[in-house]
Amino acid sequence: MSAIKSELGGEEAPPPSSPVNYLYGFLSSLKFAILLLSLIAVGSIFGTVVKQQASPEEYLSFYSGSTYTLIRFFGLNDIFHARWFLSLITLFALNLVLCTTQRFVRMRRGNRDLTIPDEKALSAMSNSFLAKGRTMEDVSACLRGFKQEEAKGEGAFLEKGAISRYGVYMIHLSIIVILVGSLIGLVFGYRGPLTLHPGETRDSVQVRGGAGRTVPLGFTLKCNDFKASFYPNGQPKDYVSSVEILEGGKKVLEKEIRVNSPLSYRGINFYQATYGSTPVFLFDIGGEQVSLTQETPYSKDGLFLMPMRFEKSVHDFGAGVQIGYVEDEKPAAAWFLKDVPRLRERDIKGVKVRLLDIKDQYYTGLEVARDPGVWVVWSGFILILLGLYVNFFLYRRRIYLLQRQEGTLVAGMAFRNREAFKAEFEKIKEKIDVLER
Amino acid sequence: MYWSDKILGLVTILYLVLFLFHLLYFALRKERLLPFLWVALYVIFGFHTLGLMIRWIESYRLSIGHAPLTNFYESLIFFAWCISLILIIMKKSFRLPILTMFASITSLTFMGYASLSTSVDRAIQPLIPALQSNWLHIHVFTCFIAYAAFALSFFSGLFSLLPRGSLLPSKEVLDETNYRSVMVGFPMLTAGIMTGAVWAHYAWGSYWSWDPKETWSLITWIVYALFLHARFVKGWQGRRMALLSVIGFMSVIFTYFGVNFILSGLHSYAS
Repeated sequence: MSAIKSELGGEEAPPPSSPVNYLYGFLSSLKFAILLLSLIAVGSIFGTVVKQQASPEEYLSFYSGSTYTLIRFFGLNDIFHARWFLSLITLFALNLVLCTTQRFVRMRRGNRDLTIPDEKALSAMSNSFLAKGRTMEDVSACLRGFKQEEAKGEGAFLEKGAISRYGVYMIHLSIIVILVGSLIGLVFGYRGPLTLHPGETRDSVQVRGGAGRTVPLGFTLKCNDFKASFYPNGQPKDYVSSVEILEGGKKVLEKEIRVNSPLSYRGINFYQATYGSTPVFLFDIGGEQVSLTQETPYSKDGLFLMPMRFEKSVHDFGAGVQIGYVEDEKPAAAWFLKDVPRLRERDIKGVKVRLLDIKDQYYTGLEVARDPGVWVVWSGFILILLGLYVNFFLYRRRIYLLQRQEGTLVAGMAFRNREAFKAEFEKIKEKIDVLER
Repeated sequence: MYWSDKILGLVTILYLVLFLFHLLYFALRKERLLPFLWVALYVIFGFHTLGLMIRWIESYRLSIGHAPLTNFYESLIFFAWCISLILIIMKKSFRLPILTMFASITSLTFMGYASLSTSVDRAIQPLIPALQSNWLHIHVFTCFIAYAAFALSFFSGLFSLLPRGSLLPSKEVLDETNYRSVMVGFPMLTAGIMTGAVWAHYAWGSYWSWDPKETWSLITWIVYALFLHARFVKGWQGRRMALLSVIGFMSVIFTYFGVNFILSGLHSYAS
C-alpha cells in the first residue's frame, strides 16, 4: 500500500505558513474535494426527491406553507440551476485544477526513484532469479515492451507501463473538459419547442428560459407530414415528421425526423419530442366545402362563423362542435352533432350549413436545440474512457538486471497488480530458459 | 408461454442447485468440490445465455425483434447474467466460494422474483420509439456489468464487516476483491453514463437533463470516486473501505430499483 501511495505522489503539501498559503492549501486539498463532492451528491438527492420546476400550487398541495418557503429559500424547487449548486460545481472545478496541477508538478519534479538496488536487495525480491550463462543483452532481448531508463548504480533499469501514472491526470482533465463543454452549451446554446401542423413553416424558435426570447433559425423549416403508428397492443411504434428545409424559398434538404434520428442543419438540431392532434371540422356552407379549425373564423358574403368548442361526446350523442356566429348584430351559438342527423344541419342567415365530418389532424412537437459545446463534451468522454483504461488496466512494473560472473541476475517488481506481474515474470523466465545458447 | 421462459425457469432452479452445492461444500469442507462448483457455474451460465438468446429470437418471431434488455423482467434476468459473466471473466480475482455462493443467491433472488412475482410483466413487448437505438445495447451492457461488479464489491465489504468465522476468508483478501470489483465497476459505470449521455443527446436533444436516473447514477459515481480516492490517496483499508462499498451499493440499488418505483422520470420504462 505504501508503494501505491508514494507512486501517486504522497499526500499533503508541506504545512502552510501564511493565511494565503493556508487558503490555497485548503482549496487544493483532497479534504475540500471530498466535502464538495459530498455536498453535490446531497444536493442531487434533494433534486430527485423534491419535484423540480413545478408550479407553486403543486408544491403547496404537497407541502405546508412554511416548508414551501424553505424550499424556495434554498432553491430546492430548481436545485440544478440554483446558484449555490452551480457555485459548488465551480468550486469543485477550481479544486480539481489546483489539486491535479500540484500533484502533477510533484510527480514531474521526480520522486521517481531511479536507483538500482544492490545485489543483495535484488536477490531478496520475491520475483528474481539468476539466468545462468546469459548476458544482459540476451535477457533484455526477451523483455518485450520494457524501456531502459537512465539510472544510478550498477546494472540496468527497465520499465513498462509507466504511462499508467498519467491515467489519473487524463481523468481529471477530462472532467474539466466536460464541464467547459457544458458551460459553452449553457452560454452559447439554446433550446425551445416547435409545434407544426402539416403544411406549416417556421423560421424562428421561442427559447425556453431567458425571458422567452425569439431566435431566428436562419432558414425555414416546413412540416410536410406527421405520422404516428402503433403496435397492435396500442403501444407507440414510430413517430415520423417529414420536414424540409428552405433557404431563400428553395428546398435544400428533405428529411424524416424520428425519435432516435434528429435532423441536424447548420448546427441546429431538431428532435421528435411530442405530438398531438387537433380536430378539423369539415363543413358544407352553401354548397361549398370548407375545413375549419377551432377558433379560426370563417367569413364570406356577410356570413361570419367560428368553431368555438369541441366535445368528444355531447350528452352521449357523440362528437360535436359549437359554432358561434353573428345574427342581427348579436352573438349566437349552436351545436352541430356529427352523429345526430337532425342536428347536423342548420340555416344560419339563410345559408345552409352542414357538418360533414370531424377529423383528427396530427401536429408534431419538435424540440429545437443548438449546443456548440457538445463536441467538447464528447472529447471529454473519450478522454475519460482512455484515462480510465490507462489508470486501471495498465500498470507499471520494473525489471532490474545485474551482470554477474555466472550469468545475469533478473529481478522485477510491480506497483500494482502483483499477481498478474508474477505470471508475466514467470513467462519471461521461461523465455530466457529456452533461449538458444 | 415462450420457450425462453422455460429455459430461464430451469436456470432459476439451477442457481438454487448451485447454492445448495455451495452449502454442501461448506458442510463437507472438501477442496476437491471447488472445481465442480465452477463447472456448474459454467453450465448454468451457458443455459442462461441460451435463454436470453432464444428470447431475442422469439421477439423476432413477433416481428418486433430486439435484444431482451427493454423492461424490468428482462433487466432482472440480465442483471443475474452479468453477475455470472463477471465471475467467470475475473475468476482469478473472485475465486472465493463464499463470494460465488452469495452471487448465486443474488442471481436466484433476481431470477426467482422475475419469474414468480405477479407484479412483473413477462411478456415480450414491442420496442417503443425512444428505445429504438443501437445505443441501447452498449448502454445497458456497461451499466449492468457495473452493477454486477458493485454487487461483488458489496459482498466483499459486507463479509469483512462481519466477525471473522471459519467460513470467511481473511480481511486482506476481501479488501483486495472489494477493490478489484470497483476497479471494473467504476470504468464500466463511467462508460454507462457516457453512452447514456450520447444516446440522450440523439433521442431527446440533451446529453444531461438531471432526470432522476441520471442524477442517481451520478451520485453512485461520486460515491465510488470517493472510494477510489480514499484507498489510493488516503490509503484507507479494512472497515472504512467496507462501509464505503456498502454505501455505494445502496446507491446502486436505489439507482436501479428506487428510481423506477419511487421517482418518476424519463427512464420509467420498467414499472
